[in-house]
Amino acid sequence: MTLSMKNVSKVYKEGDSQIIALDQVSMEVASGEFVAIIGPSGSGKSTFLSIAGALLKPSQGEVKIDNKDISKIKDKELSNLRLQEIGFILQTSNLMPYLNVLDNLLLLKKMSGKVTKQDIAFAKELLKELGLGSKFEKFPNELSGGERQRVAIARSFMNDSSLILADEPTASLDTNRANEVVSLISKEVKARGKAAIMVTHDERMLAYCDRVYRMEDGKLTLQ
Amino acid sequence: MFLALKELKHGKLRFTMIGLIIILIAWLVFILSGLGNGLSTLSAATIKNWEAEHVVYENGAGATFSKSLLSQSLQSKIEAQPGVEEVAPFSQSVIAILPIDGVAEGEDKVDAALLGIEAGSFLHPEVIEGKAVDPKIKNGVVANITLKNTNGYEIGDSVAIDGSELNAEIIGFVKNETFNHLPSLFANMDFVREYKYSAPGSNNGVEDAINAFAILGKDVDAAQIEKEVDGVEVVTKSAAINGMPGYTAENGTIMMMLVFLIVISAFVIAVFFYVLTIQKTQQFGVMKAIGASNGFIAKAIVSQVFVLSFFSILLGIGLTYLTAMVFPEEMPFNLDPVLVIIYGIVLLVISVGSSLFSVRRISKIDPLTALGRVE
Ligand SMILES: Nc1ncnc2c1ncn2[C@@H]1O[C@H](COP(=O)(O)OP(=O)(O)OP(=O)(O)O)[C@@H](O)[C@H]1O
Ligand SMILES: [Mg+2]
Repeated sequence: MTLSMKNVSKVYKEGDSQIIALDQVSMEVASGEFVAIIGPSGSGKSTFLSIAGALLKPSQGEVKIDNKDISKIKDKELSNLRLQEIGFILQTSNLMPYLNVLDNLLLLKKMSGKVTKQDIAFAKELLKELGLGSKFEKFPNELSGGERQRVAIARSFMNDSSLILADEPTASLDTNRANEVVSLISKEVKARGKAAIMVTHDERMLAYCDRVYRMEDGKLTLQ
Repeated sequence: MFLALKELKHGKLRFTMIGLIIILIAWLVFILSGLGNGLSTLSAATIKNWEAEHVVYENGAGATFSKSLLSQSLQSKIEAQPGVEEVAPFSQSVIAILPIDGVAEGEDKVDAALLGIEAGSFLHPEVIEGKAVDPKIKNGVVANITLKNTNGYEIGDSVAIDGSELNAEIIGFVKNETFNHLPSLFANMDFVREYKYSAPGSNNGVEDAINAFAILGKDVDAAQIEKEVDGVEVVTKSAAINGMPGYTAENGTIMMMLVFLIVISAFVIAVFFYVLTIQKTQQFGVMKAIGASNGFIAKAIVSQVFVLSFFSILLGIGLTYLTAMVFPEEMPFNLDPVLVIIYGIVLLVISVGSSLFSVRRISKIDPLTALGRVE
């Protein structure tokens, strides 16, 4: 199982009051599965994704990514875990503005060491698959929103990590573009055998997903 | 380096402006240190040029030549002390000189320092033109070259010493020899004595009066000499330089200015880089979310600051040398390459060090800032 979360809770303490952002949530995602989470604002979707993505430690429960228990991993090694095991697709403007498209992908390789010829070839291949074959040298501000999001998708696959997490990847896109982007995510997930979770507000995107969960007041239910 | 250079390339205007600030600061620091160095050289170049390790004064003189009066007869006793290789007597007096046929219209008398030494002594600087001080030419003097370049005196010129019957003849020139901000005029000890102590009693009854001895010798024990030779104090050469009238105060002022300048520039530079870093909080959050370690980001920031400061400081140095070329010659500007390197490194360390504040800030950025937010 690529991602396995058991009875995970997250409590935010603010002064005397407590916010239970996640309440005994469990989920398993295997490779090749594309799962969606929908739910109203403030229901805990981003919190869930942050925990699944090793950005946040749960207050309670167990999180395993590729059978590694993240509560047993030191903080310092968490960034490396994120780098190697998780691909993030974030809402907007998450590309480095001063790096061109290709360099934005290669940045991930730089973080873990040297960039090899194979890495460059792989990055170009990914970009071509996502229809960006002619944009290698472009800077993010020279791309449309949809193109930018496609670069972000390519980046999330760059390290060949087993888990892809997307937080409202279509929020800033119109319907056509959103469809295009989500279908590309779905295609890559299937083709490369990744486990993927997408948080979305957009019900029309659910057709691309294998399973759909609803989050409400920190509780997760399968639809 | 990868991120650092790419970003520098992308944000040319922004980084050019920050670079400009560093260039200006470096420029200011180097100009000021050049002026400071020039001034302090002017006030004691002759002593600084000495090879001597120690200087012997009359006890109570406080390492000031004008307050010290010794008899040259002590020389043999000092020479006999352990570690002493050579001893040279020294005497000084401030004079004004003028052409022998009087000051012409539009000309001035020239202030100078009359320095008595023994011919052939190690206190005699290298002659660049003419002859060295020679006992056979009793009134022959060797002058600093500024007397020729600025005041138009030539070898063979006879000059009158203001306020006395004595005339001197310029027989040679040396360079970079100043004393108390005045051009040095090296002369036979006997000649200086004749000028200084012509009035009866002006030597306090000291026979063969001189002002001080310079001692050559690495293993000289100053305390030992003070014990063995009556009525003297022995100080190091640097103490002798500090004892020059006004030297410490002058240097202190300049050092103070430099220190303030450097401290203030440290703040300015630190604030610049800090603001720059804060602007990029979101970016760094994203980088962390996708797996960048603190070390990776820190390296990017520090290397960027390093590259930017390094080249700005180099340009600042270049600018300083260019400015030095257009400075008028009388300007006491003396840029010591060693000082340039030291201050250059200090500035570099300051800017890189100040970027560490920003790095601290980065390590506190929560990668969560990257999630679920629209900019
Ligand atoms: N750092 C925090 N400190 C305190 N409370 C927080 C923090 N982050 C989130 N919360 C709270 O936890 C709850 C869940 O937040 P979360 O961001 O997961 O919601 P969401 O489902 O992603 O909402 P949206 O659809 O608007 O993005 C909210 O009530 C929010 O106020
Ligand atoms: Mg959210």
